[in-house]
Amino acid sequence: MVRRLPEYLTIWVPLLLSAAHLVSFSLWTIWISFTPSTLVPVSGWVGLRNYTSVLASRNWQVAFDNLLLFGSAFVLLSLVTGLILAILLDQRIRGENVLRSIFLYPLAVSFVVTGTVWSWLLNPGIGIQKLVHDFGWTSFRFDWLIDRDMAIWTIVIAAIWQSSGFAMALFLAGLRSVDADLIKAAQIDGAGPVRMYRRVILPTLWPITITVIVIQLQFAISTFDLVRALTNGGPGIATQLPALVVYDLMFQRNLLGRGAAAAVLMLLILLSVLLPYAAWQYLQRRRAPHA
Amino acid sequence: MPMITRRRLLAGSAATLALPAFAHAQGATKPRLTAISQWSAGSDGAAITALGKKFEERGGVWQHSPVPGFTTEMMNKLRAQIMAGDPPACSQLKGPEIAAWSKIAPTVSLDELVAAAGYEKVVAPDLAKLHKPGGKWIALPLQIYSTNMLFLSKRAMDKAKADKIPVTWADFNDLAEKMKAGGVAYPIANGGTRPDDGQKFEASLAGISPAAYRAAIMNLDKKALEGPEVKAAFVQVRKIADWMDPNVGARHFSTNLKRFVDGDMGMMIMGGWAQGVLRNAGFKFEDFMIAPGPSDNGKPVFLLNADAFIFWQRKEPDLQAGQALMAQLVMDPAIQTMYSQITGSIPVRTDVDLSGEGWSDGQRRTAAALKDAIASNQAVLSVAHNMAQENGLTAALIDVITEYVKNKTIKPEQAVTRLAEAVESAR
Repeated sequence: MVRRLPEYLTIWVPLLLSAAHLVSFSLWTIWISFTPSTLVPVSGWVGLRNYTSVLASRNWQVAFDNLLLFGSAFVLLSLVTGLILAILLDQRIRGENVLRSIFLYPLAVSFVVTGTVWSWLLNPGIGIQKLVHDFGWTSFRFDWLIDRDMAIWTIVIAAIWQSSGFAMALFLAGLRSVDADLIKAAQIDGAGPVRMYRRVILPTLWPITITVIVIQLQFAISTFDLVRALTNGGPGIATQLPALVVYDLMFQRNLLGRGAAAAVLMLLILLSVLLPYAAWQYLQRRRAPHA
Repeated sequence: MPMITRRRLLAGSAATLALPAFAHAQGATKPRLTAISQWSAGSDGAAITALGKKFEERGGVWQHSPVPGFTTEMMNKLRAQIMAGDPPACSQLKGPEIAAWSKIAPTVSLDELVAAAGYEKVVAPDLAKLHKPGGKWIALPLQIYSTNMLFLSKRAMDKAKADKIPVTWADFNDLAEKMKAGGVAYPIANGGTRPDDGQKFEASLAGISPAAYRAAIMNLDKKALEGPEVKAAFVQVRKIADWMDPNVGARHFSTNLKRFVDGDMGMMIMGGWAQGVLRNAGFKFEDFMIAPGPSDNGKPVFLLNADAFIFWQRKEPDLQAGQALMAQLVMDPAIQTMYSQITGSIPVRTDVDLSGEGWSDGQRRTAAALKDAIASNQAVLSVAHNMAQENGLTAALIDVITEYVKNKTIKPEQAVTRLAEAVESAR
């Protein structure tokens, strides 16, 4: 016991500290969300008033709709892009290391930088549209950034650029760990490459797929800096997302109570993703010994 | 340095504990001022540094900690310091936020100093009210900008073959059409930020009817909010929006300055600070003209934006002495002259003579407009720059306006309803 004390200390102290940190501040935020706090936290009880006012605000409604659209489009598309990149890289090609680094590299760039660069590329007056116009195709239009119906897709584009490399890396690892015997057996049975991927290899990837989905979803829910740099919620409030609403309420409108309520709503959205995942993992583990 | 100061503070505080009013304490200790503001760079930084120098010349210890970035970041620092029980002796804060923040920590009453300086007579009445919530002066305005100045590009005027400065909105719309016909790509130069969009609306409404602006935006009167003037303002805003470059996204207005001067863009409705930005960017006074924003009754309408300092209660006698000295400096016409000449604003005092050297025509015209506007009760508080309402309500109003500017499928009547609803739910 005493000999293992250093090990216990290294594991438990940081774990307990961070857990206490997380839990205590979450509880504090939940408490604040029921108080009439504005500029500074105050005690008092207003029941669900902060929640009803956040839920009734246009900003939140737009943000929530955007989150549904952005979350599903981003997760699905980055999954597909990552998978395609991984399969292509899996063909034992030359220069794989270089390509892999290139695809992974965006992940090392901060979201603020990604957002700023894409805001230039996508700006019709100076970016891609201008370039194509200068080449002579003057009727070409690519002005999503300033089109309030399409602006949310510019965030999808930038987010996919940033993180499909991450999905690719996980998928590639999965592809490489497929049992060689399985592949051999399929080859002997005369399966072509397409059939092999569809029937043999991809089915073994689904635990990784779920992991990628969950990680990307929690990223999507908490997206802040990317939007802030790319569109800042605009045009108008067309690309508002929940994290922006929280920041705006707390630190720009000085409405701590409402901001806290919006933050708690975000936590609930996050839990709606994480709890099923945890339950699924739990079931997997319970089923495993019997399998 | 801070060590010595703190020791002196301890020694001094025992002796002067019995003297509550800082006016008495001033003689006993060397005045010291801890101050926070967002002004760190450019002309703002230069101006507050110059003010600090004056403070030191009068024998004070100047301890200014700038918090660069948005005003909200400065506010976060202020909030943290107040909650820790250690507010700065003085901090930047403006508009109705002065009243809101004065509820969370004790402030200093400046009534005696203001009375001694005879200051109240020379300040615009609406502005004075903001700095004395509850009837006591606790904050002092430092400089004034008008948010609805009209900037005209000389080259765009040439293209339109026009030389008359528009007075009413009808004149303005005429000129914009002429510019468009004369080959000016976008008659309105505009950024895409929230205050930018807000300024277009406040300039429209106040220009159409200052009385309606006062009732609807400053007093949030429900009938006025749903009144015909607000609808007319939204109609005018749509016209302005149609003349803007749609590619502007969320960019800052200053990115358009070159195109504005080149005559590719024609007019700009911007705060007086744009003059400083234009000059700093290397453009000449011959490149543009400045006039008060359009006003349908012909008399200038002035949308007030004023920076100010609020004074937080401290027990230390040297800080109290510093606050008294700072208050005297801020009210001093010579100091206001120095400050405004650096930043391009105009002095808060309406009795400062701007005919001398160091003032630009734009500043003179702005100061004259303020005087006329006060005389005809047409000096009102800017909502786009957080002078008319607290931040929460301002943001709710600007939400509606900025969406309306960007989304041309929203009809003016819908915008009117949404504006009234936004007020209702933000209250």
